[in-house]
Amino acid sequence: MNTEKRIRILLAKVGLDGHDRGLKIISVLLRDEGFEVINLGPFQTAETIINVVEQEDVDVIGLSIHGEEYRIYVPRIIELMKEKGLNDRGFILGGVLPPEDIPELKRIGVDEIFISGTPIKEIKRKIIELVKEKGR
Amino acid sequence: MKGDIKKIREGYYEKADLTETLSGIPIKEIYRPEDINNIEYHRDIGDPGQYPYTRGIYPNMFRGRFWTRREVCGFGTPADTNKRLLQQIEMGVTGLNVIVDMPTRFGVDVEHPLAKGEVGATGVPLTSLRDMEVLTKGIPIKDVSFSLISSSCVAPIVLSQYIIVAKRAGIDISGLRGTIQSDTLSTRFCGMGDATPPDLALKITGDIIEFCSRYMPLWYPINVNMYDLRETGISAPQELGFGFANAIAYIEEVLGRGLNIDDFAPRFAFYCSSHIDFFEEIAKLRAARRMWAKILKDRFKAKNPKSWKFRFGIHTAGCSLVAKQPINNIIRVTIEALAAVLAGVQSLHCCSYDEPIALPNETTQKIAIRTQQIIAYETGAAATADPLGGSYYIETLTNKIEEEAWKILKKIDDMGGAIEAIKNKWIEKEIEKEALRYQRSIENGKRIVVGVNAFVEEEEEKELEIRPHKYSFEAERRHINNVKRLKQERDKERLERAIENLRKEALKGRNHNLIPAIIDAVEAYATTDEIIGTIRECFGYSYDPFNINKSPF
Repeated sequence: MNTEKRIRILLAKVGLDGHDRGLKIISVLLRDEGFEVINLGPFQTAETIINVVEQEDVDVIGLSIHGEEYRIYVPRIIELMKEKGLNDRGFILGGVLPPEDIPELKRIGVDEIFISGTPIKEIKRKIIELVKEKGR
Repeated sequence: MKGDIKKIREGYYEKADLTETLSGIPIKEIYRPEDINNIEYHRDIGDPGQYPYTRGIYPNMFRGRFWTRREVCGFGTPADTNKRLLQQIEMGVTGLNVIVDMPTRFGVDVEHPLAKGEVGATGVPLTSLRDMEVLTKGIPIKDVSFSLISSSCVAPIVLSQYIIVAKRAGIDISGLRGTIQSDTLSTRFCGMGDATPPDLALKITGDIIEFCSRYMPLWYPINVNMYDLRETGISAPQELGFGFANAIAYIEEVLGRGLNIDDFAPRFAFYCSSHIDFFEEIAKLRAARRMWAKILKDRFKAKNPKSWKFRFGIHTAGCSLVAKQPINNIIRVTIEALAAVLAGVQSLHCCSYDEPIALPNETTQKIAIRTQQIIAYETGAAATADPLGGSYYIETLTNKIEEEAWKILKKIDDMGGAIEAIKNKWIEKEIEKEALRYQRSIENGKRIVVGVNAFVEEEEEKELEIRPHKYSFEAERRHINNVKRLKQERDKERLERAIENLRKEALKGRNHNLIPAIIDAVEAYATTDEIIGTIRECFGYSYDPFNINKSPF
């Protein structure tokens, strides 16, 4: 990846959940894998995230999920992405999510979902594929 | 088939190559008498019930009384949680354990912009006294030990709600049994930084300890929350080092108000983790007892032996459970729970196996309760005190963990104590370093987690046999409507008087105890956010920790 433009990923948590161990770790591990990572930390909203995506020309948005907050924020982020013409960006989730919700989340526009325990190499591979698919 | 033969042959000759504990302490092939020949039994170990309590805080341990069996619970509306609590009693829990939701914990309004989808999501909303009334309906609180997990600056408000419910039922609060998890500092490391400024956090915990030591002698006013710290990814010695540093900060706060150590130290309690490294966890808890006894006796000169005793509840390690092949989590929880029992636990929560996926449902929570019952009644693990005491390995590891934990505590002391180590971000950095070390050991395959980096099944994300708990938007809506109705129905003059009084009291200085004024405001049906917001303003902080909402008063 050295000769190409590095993939820029924005990581964040939304709502009030402050379990940020996953967020911090995945930020470092993805940096180790050669990605450029912007970690916004917890307590973000769909609006704060989309602002940064636009300003920083982010390739992929990643949310770290631990509670139920995704039910509110994921549809809103997708709505804003459509509104702002950001369909060429990737949108991924990771963390604690019921498997039965995954098909519906993918249907509405989430590109990849990594449940807890997914190896970093697999996450890396899928992110690179995703960015290629999106033509970024 | 050819591949299978190779695999089985290699498997047959495979060696155990894990040569260090989960915390990175090297393990020798064999431990012998000379490893522990520096130990003097009566000085370093002692009989159970004898200083320094390495073997347990009671002479006969579970032969005197079993540990309290409780399961953390909180979701939907207070009525939903109440229903689950009554079911738990039916299933055989011997104490209750309720956790509040995030808006309550942060002390923000149920309609706060960041609270969307969070009301009743990962805990029960305790917005006002009405909610506590509903939560405790039909529960004999005079006789049941009730643990309230709120461990943020709203802890005194939740406690006040409980006190009023008891008083109105004609119960003398001096007889109430239970715990308020009021370790406000620990929540800083669980993403609640802005909502728990260290000086206010210390003041609030100090108020609770002072109040309870006067009026609620059977209640545990503090439950030093080592568990949540451990879940951030730290090691066993760090769990003790960081946890004790916080405990010392609270003790110094209360001593600063003129109380004697023996007035309140006998009601100190701890909430620890039991992680997956079986022997290390047992050793950690034995080391904790010995350290706490020394801290209280030598450092704080406590005279009452009850002050020296390290009492602890255990939460099996949620972070050790994985979403892949989730039913295996039952086995992980069993091993962790067994370690807790062999280490002489006072109160135990077993995780439910679906926890890496959702909140526990009725069925999985029942398995967690049954796990405790099988250990208690079938295995013989509870029959004798400290059954592993004297083991060359356990005693060596106990020494080692104690040694490491003292080093950490000394470092924090040298910095000027827990508050300084928080402010200069040393603890935060240590947490990140250790969490990363652990994760890297999994990523590089040095540490095996079954189903994650070994014995992976191709066909993953199989359907669970049970339906996971689902968040209810309907419950959220109902709760928000209840709060709106409450705000219309309550006596506004009475409320404003109570808030005015609270403000006046809060401005009287740090050491002025606010619990009576909080009780008065709760009785006037002020909401949790209104009370903590008013207090925050008096201490120079924004009404809303996120600085979005403004005070309505």
